[in-house]
Amino acid sequence: MDTKRSDVLQGTLDLMILKTLHALGSLHGFGIARRIEQVSRDVLQLNEGTVYTSLLRLQQQGWIAAEWGTSENNRKAKFYSITKRGQKQLDLETKNWERISGVIGRVLRLEGEKES
Amino acid sequence: MSTQRESKLRASTAKLRGFLRGRRHDGEFDDEIQEHLQSLAERFVAQGMTREEAAAAARRQFGNVTLLREDRRDLQTLLFFDTLWHDLRYALRTLWKNQGFAAVSIATLGLGIGAATAIFSVIDNVLLAPFPYRDSGRLVFARIHNTQQSEKDGRQGYTPTEFLEIAETNHVFDGITAAAEDLVLYKHGEGTEQLYGAHVTPGTFEFFGMPALHGRVLQPTDYEPGAPPVFVMRYKTWIERFNGDLSILNSTFELNGIRRTLVGIMPPRFGWYDADVWFPKKPTRSGEGFAESPEIWFLLGRLKPETTSQQAQADLTVIANRLARIHPQDFPEHFTIQVRKLGDTVVGRFQATLYTVLGAVGLLLLIACSNVANLMLARATTREKEFALRAVLGAGRMRLLRLLMVEGLVLAMGGAMLGIFLAWGGLKLLVAAMPQNLIPTESVIELNGPVLTFTLCIAVLTALMFGLAPALQSSRRDLNDPLRGSGKGTSGGTEGGWLRDAVVMAEVALSLTLLIGAGLLMRSFVALRGVHLGLRADHVFQALLPLPADRYKTTEQVSKFIRPLLARIQTLPGVVEAAVSSDFPPFGLPESKIDVAGRTHQEEWQTLFQQVSGQYFRVLRIEFKKGREFSDAEISDARKVAVVNDTFARKYLPNEDPVGRRVRLAMLDTQAGARRESWFEIIGVVADVRNRGLEVPIEPQVWLPYTIGATGAQALMVRTLQDPATIMNAVRRDVWAVDSGVALAFPSTLEERISERLYAGPRFGFVLMAIFGCIGTILVTVGVYSVMAYSTTQKTHEIGIRMALGAEGADVLGMVVKKGLRVVAGGMALGLAFSLTLGKLIETQFVGVATYDPLTLAATTLLLTMTAAIACWIPARKAARVDPLVALRYE
Repeated sequence: MDTKRSDVLQGTLDLMILKTLHALGSLHGFGIARRIEQVSRDVLQLNEGTVYTSLLRLQQQGWIAAEWGTSENNRKAKFYSITKRGQKQLDLETKNWERISGVIGRVLRLEGEKES
Repeated sequence: MSTQRESKLRASTAKLRGFLRGRRHDGEFDDEIQEHLQSLAERFVAQGMTREEAAAAARRQFGNVTLLREDRRDLQTLLFFDTLWHDLRYALRTLWKNQGFAAVSIATLGLGIGAATAIFSVIDNVLLAPFPYRDSGRLVFARIHNTQQSEKDGRQGYTPTEFLEIAETNHVFDGITAAAEDLVLYKHGEGTEQLYGAHVTPGTFEFFGMPALHGRVLQPTDYEPGAPPVFVMRYKTWIERFNGDLSILNSTFELNGIRRTLVGIMPPRFGWYDADVWFPKKPTRSGEGFAESPEIWFLLGRLKPETTSQQAQADLTVIANRLARIHPQDFPEHFTIQVRKLGDTVVGRFQATLYTVLGAVGLLLLIACSNVANLMLARATTREKEFALRAVLGAGRMRLLRLLMVEGLVLAMGGAMLGIFLAWGGLKLLVAAMPQNLIPTESVIELNGPVLTFTLCIAVLTALMFGLAPALQSSRRDLNDPLRGSGKGTSGGTEGGWLRDAVVMAEVALSLTLLIGAGLLMRSFVALRGVHLGLRADHVFQALLPLPADRYKTTEQVSKFIRPLLARIQTLPGVVEAAVSSDFPPFGLPESKIDVAGRTHQEEWQTLFQQVSGQYFRVLRIEFKKGREFSDAEISDARKVAVVNDTFARKYLPNEDPVGRRVRLAMLDTQAGARRESWFEIIGVVADVRNRGLEVPIEPQVWLPYTIGATGAQALMVRTLQDPATIMNAVRRDVWAVDSGVALAFPSTLEERISERLYAGPRFGFVLMAIFGCIGTILVTVGVYSVMAYSTTQKTHEIGIRMALGAEGADVLGMVVKKGLRVVAGGMALGLAFSLTLGKLIETQFVGVATYDPLTLAATTLLLTMTAAIACWIPARKAARVDPLVALRYE
């Protein structure tokens, strides 16, 4: 594996997509992939296809909605947007993430202090 | 936690929705992917790549589209069913490729399932749910049982007062009904016929919860005093006597001198009290006791829900004790009330037989399952590589297990279908062979819902049983082992080998037991048929003449009817001889104490006696040893003459000429209208005629002229030249010509009657055992074959080595057959021992044949050995033909 790029965890991808849709509003799959690529500054290794699996999963949970529309270059495309329920889920997940990453960060810092 | 469960639930519903919707959305998704890939590619082109490079890069960045699609399917639909369908198709395809295997397996299972289904439908229809009535499981009748008598004795009939007392004061029934029998003479334009009638209490039809098929059932108004007389008819009677003619509905019939209107015809399965016609009758209280009671009621109650027989017994005992104080003479000194389920009277003894048979059939099914398990195991070994490859390619163990289970299920379903077909045919055979008097008249033996459900359950169960064992065994294996190639030694699969041998041994033992049982029953049946009745039953027409009691009180009145009737019948074309008798041979004769003039004896002498007309001996071709038959004058003058049988002469008058001796029958002295002088002179001795059935020794018997005291019903017997059944209508016309008020009841041939009474039971046992014996033999053949096939396949390598080292084909053949027959011989020894022990228990069922009958034992053993040898020989021959080179290369 490429050492510079990390695999994306499934749950993490879901969260990223929710956040992206929250931030940018209605967006198609290609756009979401571009946004994640851009935000992650090429650090994350992403099989763009998995975005669609994630989208389907989110859709099934009722956190995002989809409808057909026309893309910037006049092509038919499916546009996804976050729902109210998705909004709530995003808040919940964000809090969760912050708490866990905070804990993990602290633990890692602790370890680092010891080493040094 | 709850949100997690919620989201899981949402995912599942989405899957279910997707599953139900099918693949409709896949196309849409493909479009989306194409769009994405194109956009990516365009971006790469903009960055300076060529079109081809861009497309490839786009695909790289996007990832595996196929995998993505599968992921999506997993999310969107119930993958289990999707792959199940796949497995099913695969199973069908592989089975189609192995038609021999599939055919043998399905046939084996079909036999087992079919036998089980057939017997279960008999049990369901006869024992479990024979009655079509509402809550028939709660219908009971009560019996006043004299505790000093044997278990089954007791009074089941009640006076009207007793019935009303029970109906009104009990606390255990939520419904009660009663019927009183009535022999009905139905008079029509041409003459008279006999019907069996029953008077029924108000609410009877509501009690049973069955509406009429045509017309209506009896209603409360029919029971009112002065209501027009009506009746309801049974379906069977309507079809058989009136050809199902609907126009007879609402017409009037003269029944026992009363003109009654037919208001309804009941559905086929309504057969309360086994009556042809039902009349309304309200029981009324009277002070009379049992002996003077105008009619005797058989009552049936429906227990309240949750009420037990014991509670009912206790409640009814209180009432009976109260009744016993009013009419003490009607009740035994010590009695209890027994409450019995409806149907207990009919099927009591048959029940044990049926459950025994079900047990045997269960064992047959087990044999069938183990056979197919062995076959599958044999096949699974040859498929080891396939499974290993599948496992290596990522098939989970569950997936492999399921594949085998699906195959098993497919086979089981095939077997079930064949089984249902076999059961359908087998039932027809069973019903034809079944003694009719042993089953309730309401029960119809057929394949029905519960039975088919049972079959389906059996099929699934068998699939689990025979499918799981080989599946577990082959899926448990180390993946590398079979793939490594020549991992097979000489002793491949000996573990579990003893189990397979044991199964075959048990199969052989069981099927030999069945065969021996069938053989013995057959021999016994043949012996029974061979028992000389002492009379010739062929070409004899017989019927009962129930004479109306009001017009036939005296012997003179009876003979005034019989004499011209016999004279008329005698002149019918094809009639050789005609006679009447007080009873039908060869049972049911009354017995009397007897004295022989000039002989004194300590113990009581008994004889059976029968009153006949002069031609009786000629009609039945009974052979005279000494003396002569009754002359016409002796009959018409009612002379005191007698004919005795050989046993009588040997027992009571040994070494003397019985002709001319005089005998006195005590029974005739005590009979109503006694003849003061009842000494009879013996004028002839006839050869012995069976008079107590076939299995009991012949007893002394005396024949007397019917004219010395004939009353009641007379048995008519006519010897003909042609088929005796053909003269029925002519005889009936003659009866009506002499007296149009007399019916010709139960017309049939003597052969038929004897066959029904004497041979039907044994024949049923023999047919049943023969069928199961055959099925057992077929299954054993398959069983031996499958085990031998399995072990020889396992040994192909070993056989190859042996042959390479110089063994001939014949040696290999001998080796395999010998091994097979050793197992079979073990089973045979077991079976012989088993059937000899079992035979001791059912000895009473055999007539004229010993349980160790050498012929039967030899024949069945030989039959089984031969089939087993053939079963061994087929795989042995295959093994002997093995090319050593191929076998050694065989992996």
